[in-house]
Amino acid sequence: MKTISVTINGEAYVETVPVRMLLVDFIREKCGLTGTHVSCTYEGVCGACTVQLNGEAIKSCMMLAAQADGHRVTTVEGLANGEELTPLQKAFKAHHGLQCGFCTPGILMNMTEFLQKNPRPTDDEIRRGLVGNLCRCTGYVHIVDAVRAAANSAT
Amino acid sequence: MAAIPQDSKDWMGARLERKEDLRLITGHGKYVADIVLPGMLHAAFVRSDHAHAKIKRIDTTEAAALPGVVAVFTGDEFKDHCKSMRQPVLLPNLPAKYPLYYALAIDKVKFHGDPVAVIIARDKYVAEDAAELVVVDYAELPVVLDPEAALEPGAVRVHDDEADNEMFSMTFTGGATIEEQDKNAAEVEKIFQSADVVVKERFRVHRTGTTPMETRGVLAEWSPSDGLTVYNTTQRPHIDRLAFADILDIPAEKVRVIAPRDMGGGFGLKAPFYRESIVIAYAARKLKRPVRWIESRYEGLMNIGQERGQVNDLEVAATKDGKLLALRNRGVADCGTGQIGVYWGFVMPFLGAVEMPNAYTWNAGDVRLKVAFTNKACLTPSRAFGHFPTRFAIERAVDMVARKCSLEPADLRRKNLVPKLPYTSVTGEYYDSGDFLKVWDSLMVKADLPAFRREQATARAAGRYLGIGFGCGVELSGVASELMVPMENQPGYGAATVRLDPRGKAFIFGGDAPGGQGHETTISQIVAATFGISPEDTVITTGDTGTTPFGSGTIGARMGSYFASAVRKACDELKEKITHVLAHDLGVRATVEEFAFTNGEVIYARDPAKRKGFREIVERIIMFPVNLPEGEVGGLESTAFFEAAKPMICFNADCCVVEVDITNGNFKIQRWVTSEDVGNVINPMIVDGQMHGAIVQGLSNAIFEEFIYNEQGQQLTADFEHYKLATAADVPTIEITYASTPCPHTPLGTRGIGEGRPSAVSGALCNALCDALSLFNIEITELPIRPNVLWKKLQAAGAVTK
Amino acid sequence: MYPAPIEDYIRPRTLAEAVSALARYAPGEAVFLAGGQSLMQAMKSRMVRPRCIVDLQTLTELKGIRISDGLAIGAMTRYVEIAESQAIGPAYAALQDAAQHVGDRQVRNRGTLGGSVCWNYLASCMPAVTLGLGGTMQLLAANGKTRAVSADDFLIAPLETARAEDELLTSITFPAAPANTGSAYKKWGLVTDALPVVGVCMQVTLNAAGACSAARIALSGLSAGAQRAPAGEALLVGSKVDESAMKRALEAIVGSVDAQSDKWADTAYRHQLIRTLGLDVANSAFARARGV
Repeated sequence: MKTISVTINGEAYVETVPVRMLLVDFIREKCGLTGTHVSCTYEGVCGACTVQLNGEAIKSCMMLAAQADGHRVTTVEGLANGEELTPLQKAFKAHHGLQCGFCTPGILMNMTEFLQKNPRPTDDEIRRGLVGNLCRCTGYVHIVDAVRAAANSAT
Repeated sequence: MAAIPQDSKDWMGARLERKEDLRLITGHGKYVADIVLPGMLHAAFVRSDHAHAKIKRIDTTEAAALPGVVAVFTGDEFKDHCKSMRQPVLLPNLPAKYPLYYALAIDKVKFHGDPVAVIIARDKYVAEDAAELVVVDYAELPVVLDPEAALEPGAVRVHDDEADNEMFSMTFTGGATIEEQDKNAAEVEKIFQSADVVVKERFRVHRTGTTPMETRGVLAEWSPSDGLTVYNTTQRPHIDRLAFADILDIPAEKVRVIAPRDMGGGFGLKAPFYRESIVIAYAARKLKRPVRWIESRYEGLMNIGQERGQVNDLEVAATKDGKLLALRNRGVADCGTGQIGVYWGFVMPFLGAVEMPNAYTWNAGDVRLKVAFTNKACLTPSRAFGHFPTRFAIERAVDMVARKCSLEPADLRRKNLVPKLPYTSVTGEYYDSGDFLKVWDSLMVKADLPAFRREQATARAAGRYLGIGFGCGVELSGVASELMVPMENQPGYGAATVRLDPRGKAFIFGGDAPGGQGHETTISQIVAATFGISPEDTVITTGDTGTTPFGSGTIGARMGSYFASAVRKACDELKEKITHVLAHDLGVRATVEEFAFTNGEVIYARDPAKRKGFREIVERIIMFPVNLPEGEVGGLESTAFFEAAKPMICFNADCCVVEVDITNGNFKIQRWVTSEDVGNVINPMIVDGQMHGAIVQGLSNAIFEEFIYNEQGQQLTADFEHYKLATAADVPTIEITYASTPCPHTPLGTRGIGEGRPSAVSGALCNALCDALSLFNIEITELPIRPNVLWKKLQAAGAVTK
Repeated sequence: MYPAPIEDYIRPRTLAEAVSALARYAPGEAVFLAGGQSLMQAMKSRMVRPRCIVDLQTLTELKGIRISDGLAIGAMTRYVEIAESQAIGPAYAALQDAAQHVGDRQVRNRGTLGGSVCWNYLASCMPAVTLGLGGTMQLLAANGKTRAVSADDFLIAPLETARAEDELLTSITFPAAPANTGSAYKKWGLVTDALPVVGVCMQVTLNAAGACSAARIALSGLSAGAQRAPAGEALLVGSKVDESAMKRALEAIVGSVDAQSDKWADTAYRHQLIRTLGLDVANSAFARARGV
């Protein structure tokens, strides 16, 4: 067991957890933040569990909770400022960028950082940026539309 | 951007932002894995490493002794205390071999991944630790993996108590008796004898299917007074409820199934009744504690989501000027073990054979199918239910005919499209309405074939290989009872309850269970437009058998066809009552047609000064039921059932433009254009999204995805590193044009859409590739189509030196 | 799908602490955790069951790209940092070609060069690129001894390296490249940025006459793991660097390697990928050598 302290969405969580506990389980089960999802098993390919670690998109199923000790995590619950959605969240709504919504939190967390680094992406860059997030419903078309619209709305 | 209609009648057809989205983009969705009950235990399955083996002994001692483990069950537990999975509620009304099986394997395992034991533990990590400690002694048996070999006399039998591996065999043409079928076959043979042009090919489609991003999950809870409550990722909670009751022998009133409001995709995969559901429910009842199982992706890819897997020996006869005359097909489907409730693996190929003739007129057909048991996971339904392989075959064959006739494949298609509906196909499928030619012509306008041919010629002169390909598809718009009863032993009607409350709000209840299709939004638009209120004033509840009317599930494009129609019908019944009371209150003699429900008011059309707020009249009927018209009582709630007079369809056509690099067979889709008849549209944004997703699923199936078994029957593709899904960077954007004809059989003119939609995709793609490489006479007859395969064909054709 | 039980997690603050932490356990029982993008897969599938995790995340000595008399890249330097670095010149640009296409953004934000090379997975880019660029592994043992091992000697076979159980890879160094040196890497997989079915890395140097004076070629994705292609190197060196020379070199490579056959690519297609990717890579490497 290991006692760790992780700041998630600005709130400090101090918990004692088994060393083997995955960060995603810490987020979902210890902290009750179930917006972060799990879709693949061990391979870390689907991206549904993507959160930001110190501002960077990472897959929370590919880390132990213990590795996040002392770090800052942002999950999908931490994106909106109160009732005010981010431009990307708004764009996902306006452009029907989600259907079942299972992959969506991971995509939002990845693309939020992506747009910070690349505020005016081309469609090809958006599509390449999405490679780590599998979606089964949308065929990605409306996701690309939403990311592009969010980029345009921010400038 | 979504525009907000000025007038409430315009809610129909509006690009309304979805009601579902706010919770889903802020992380507040509630999927099955997000539901936690006090004292909840976790399950992990022990599954077979072998494709076919006798179970000699299972030793669970060490696993049971691990701290944190509450129980370990093996097959005997279920054989002794539950009924088999072969219960009437889960059996189609079709003559087939339905293998006897239980929730866990008994005596022998029949495919790699067959569940042999289950661990119930307080912690999910510990459950997995214990699963590793279960020792199973197997005696390996020879395997049968090839469906044609499985049908040979003397083949290894998958099920010891069945005479052979022929699960299902049927002739779909000619009539019900063998004599009629033989007579028909002779007539078809005569056509082939005298036809100018005959194409004969073996078309092979691999095992592939669908993988919703949310895996399956079951959470069961037992209460001595209320019985069993199961939160299940299911597209058909009402059927599940009956199955739980029958298999576990629980009085039906003590079973409630809840498909969580948020479900991470279904695509058919969550439509069957699975044995794991029984295991979890049984454990919850026995242990008197909630038990949850969240399927791992590894288990999912090992066990379910596998469809297609079929060979079709197809012959097409035509005249030299490109008139299609007859088709003859012998299909063999690789069913796997056939152990999946409702579908049993063969119902998909059955429907695939029915849908084989597609949108073309044929003078005659001879269509037959055999379905074989093999030592593989049972086929499970996947979007484009059953007809992905037959559609691939027919769409490729049509192009081959065009090539033989030296005709433009697009022209040949148009020439042979069913010119006028209704029409009954040679396999007896009824096409109710629509205008195939209008859809086709609208595709051709958008695709601009002449311009492409010029571009292609220029490119070819520069050493570049561009191609264009077409395909089309008649798809079911909901599944009528006349098909559902034989096929799935279930009704096809749609059902909805609409309840109005004293504040003028509408609560809608449906027994289907969506997984991302946007039911809450589209239904709210229908209700808002019908009552003249805002979609904000509606709440839609689906998936809970405790509160919703019976529904056969979110399957087969039932939303825009059956569910939407039932909702509209229930609303109309309430409008009758509202206007009956209102006319009485206003002192006029008027029928419902004389009132307009608009922008929150109910207005008497002959004298618009006579009007009342929707909320006021609703509140009056519910809360103040005095001075009512004679014979009328208070309250506003209606449950309606909708069944169309005839089975219904929708129709679509695809155009693909591709460029091939002949040095390595790599190809890039440059354009994907579609034309759709979806009937009247409720929310165009949602319809677009359905098409995008379906087409990309079709592409991903055709190019990337493949379930691979080795010679021992071991499944090698049970993770996303090996079972490859298309990423955003692998697929094109999609241009959609609509050429709709309102459906005359639904109250709103709407059609159900999206389910069958992937089926036309592989044909259009491969036709484009073959067009690009027409110089080398390359024909694609097998899926998946990948650069390696294309390069080999190019090499064989002498197109590339190294 | 969850790791087997792990007894301890240690986050050393110095290199010495890191190697001594590992040494407290029997060989194989404790593992260094770098970015974890491979190791976590192996732990979750229970192929690897460590008793103790030694997490290297705080060791700043292991991070960063340094240019002085060649190139030194800390073992814990992440793909994203390599991909976005402005410091890596044309001689080592293959590192960036590879890093920009490893997995996906999330993987590149976590995965490290050192982790990849020490894991030495058969279908991975970094071992082959390190080999193709003539990298040297700088290792530190528990007793404080250091040693340098060339990539040629370090990469033994898939999932096998010359790193002793108690050694820590601290950095990978690359010699100062002669003038007019360029490198490139390209891979092919069924989906975008997938693990390489085949990947080709080349580093070439041009002499004053514009002929090839030095060449290193390495391949990824083949069943023997990251491997040099000496047959091709020999033919390239001394050549005039035209397309026919490149093709001859690539043909020699095709004739000299064992390429497996699987559902993604059969042997003949892997050979063809070596030819087509190889030609792109050679053109790109030579262009970089020329400074264009």
